[in-house]
Amino acid sequence: MTMQGEAPAGAGNPAPQQAPARRSIGAVLAAPVGLLAHLLDGPMRFWQRLAGRGGMIAFFLLPNMAVFALFVIVPLGINVAYSLSGGTQLFLPSRSFVGPENFARLLTCDNHLAPATCRDDLFWIAVWNTVRFVALQVVVLVAVAMTTALILNRSIRARGFWRAVFFFPVLLSPVVVGLIWKWIFQRQGLLNWLMVEMGLDPVNWLTDRTWAYVFSVGISVWAHAGFYALILLAGLQAIPRHIYEAAEMDRTSPARAFRRITLPLLWPNLLVVIVLALIRAVQVFDEVYVLTGGGPGTSTMYLTQYIYETGFASTLRNPGVAAAASLMMGGVLVVLTLAQIALTRWRDRQ
Amino acid sequence: MGQIRLQGIRKSFGALEVLKGIDLDIAEGEFVVFVGPSGCGKSTLLRQISGLDQPNAGRIHIDGRDVTDVGAADRGLAMVFQSYALYPHMTVRDNLAFGLQNNRMPKAEIASRIAEAARMLEIGHLMQRRPGQLSGGQRQRVAIGRAVVRDPTAFLLDEPLSNLDAELRVSMRAELAALHARLKATMIYVTHDQIEAMTLADRIVVLRDGEIEQVATPMELFNRPANLFVAGFIGAPRMNLIDAAEAASLAPGGLPRGAAWVGVRPQNLRLDDAGAELKVDLVEALGTETVLHGQLASGTRLIVAQAGQVDAARGDTLRVAAEPGKLHFFDDAGRRVEP
Repeated sequence: MTMQGEAPAGAGNPAPQQAPARRSIGAVLAAPVGLLAHLLDGPMRFWQRLAGRGGMIAFFLLPNMAVFALFVIVPLGINVAYSLSGGTQLFLPSRSFVGPENFARLLTCDNHLAPATCRDDLFWIAVWNTVRFVALQVVVLVAVAMTTALILNRSIRARGFWRAVFFFPVLLSPVVVGLIWKWIFQRQGLLNWLMVEMGLDPVNWLTDRTWAYVFSVGISVWAHAGFYALILLAGLQAIPRHIYEAAEMDRTSPARAFRRITLPLLWPNLLVVIVLALIRAVQVFDEVYVLTGGGPGTSTMYLTQYIYETGFASTLRNPGVAAAASLMMGGVLVVLTLAQIALTRWRDRQ
Repeated sequence: MGQIRLQGIRKSFGALEVLKGIDLDIAEGEFVVFVGPSGCGKSTLLRQISGLDQPNAGRIHIDGRDVTDVGAADRGLAMVFQSYALYPHMTVRDNLAFGLQNNRMPKAEIASRIAEAARMLEIGHLMQRRPGQLSGGQRQRVAIGRAVVRDPTAFLLDEPLSNLDAELRVSMRAELAALHARLKATMIYVTHDQIEAMTLADRIVVLRDGEIEQVATPMELFNRPANLFVAGFIGAPRMNLIDAAEAASLAPGGLPRGAAWVGVRPQNLRLDDAGAELKVDLVEALGTETVLHGQLASGTRLIVAQAGQVDAARGDTLRVAAEPGKLHFFDDAGRRVEP
């Protein structure tokens, strides 16, 4: 960027004859930084002589590590402490130490497949709801993202426009996503108005267990598919056109080209998409919470909502149990992440 | 098998007309090279033949069958791409087998074809490798092998050697010539390298701005270029072109009627005390040949190529003359005029 009055940096004029009359904004902004660097030069050299090169590296990394520790490591430690404590008190020092009692409460079941037989039935309802959600959402999400990417990769009319359209929901806040769809699906919402206009009976979409589940999956797919489609699209565009032309000369049918060429070459991107989608699906909360509030009953209550309500929202809040549940969920996410890293490495070795 | 006829092929990309009506007959077993400067349409023409692109007008016949509206898969042609376009995730063997499997060929037949191609191209030891583990030359062999196993009606080769280093290019050139002699298949080869064109072709098609300038054997192109463009394009160093009015100092004798330009190849100029004065400003001594660049008294630039080594230096003044009977004449429009 240049100040007014200064000649623009012309490509055809690589060596300006005279110095610019005024300094650029960049130079003005850089001046105090330069001054600071100048002032610090002496002390830094002195410090390096004391600490050595390795010490300097640690010194420069320190600010970042401090932030990481403050916002990740310390809260994780506090969370572990909460998970081993009991009572409804929020202030940690006034809580009593109970050992693994919270984990025992969450994990004790006669039959883990039947939440009613568990000490904390709500937790297992949330676990199985989440499993059902993840199973359907990830499959549908990847399929929708893949289809979208394949279509957007073709030379269709107004391709840039369609790419923007599919990516737009990703930019919305999850609460906004939940609200928009709530206006559509609620009892006196847009969808029912349309159905009445068409002479059909209105349906209580969000108080029907099956519909609520389907819509919770549907809106989260709608909200996130664009992001994954973009990752897949980038992968598709990285496949050279000539390879498809060679396949065409080799008499490859489109279906076989997809199976034998597109899928294997897209696999690294697909793997990233599947694992990221899995991780985010396990954490599902905000947009579904706004849409259904976990209902009807507990039919769309997922794990994060269970943790939130147990720890913060219920009248008898229990931070210890919430902390224990979130640690277990964190453990699942760590396993998924490690699996992704292992798979990626395994594939790179191939 | 492998006779190809192009009739009035036109191709435009938006407002840009890349091919402006190409007519060409390619005989069975012929090695035809499309040559021309960048953007002349030679690769585009090859793509029309392959079926990867559709012409806007014109017909394409292969062995008498009109294939203009037939897809690339069903024209029975094989193509070797400049980028090789090997399937990066498949082994060399799978790269060769893929097209044959698409045709549901029996496994034994596939294996024997691959073995034959591997022997011919000396890639047998690479069968379990992936393209990423091969050198450029090896990839090129595999790409050619992928075409050979298909036993196509004709081979289409799009600048296949341009990604190789100079030494490898020379040896692959010789191998391609040997391959053609052995397979006796029709080959259409695109290049901008006139040495490749001259050494490989039975006939060369010189293209410029989407039009054919001349179709002829390499020696005919060299000896009787149809116009100024071909005269300047074929042969290295370039043919000297001199205003007819000036030519007398180099080559005494009359000019044919209508001649506006006189062309003389650098190899057809010799040092001659009776010739015109040339002020030398650059000497390229190649050992087997010496190339002298200089200026006539009129200011016209001239290149002289002398066999062997010439004792000359920048700043020297030499006298040069054209060998009798080795002049080319062109009219105002640049067309060849016979002497």
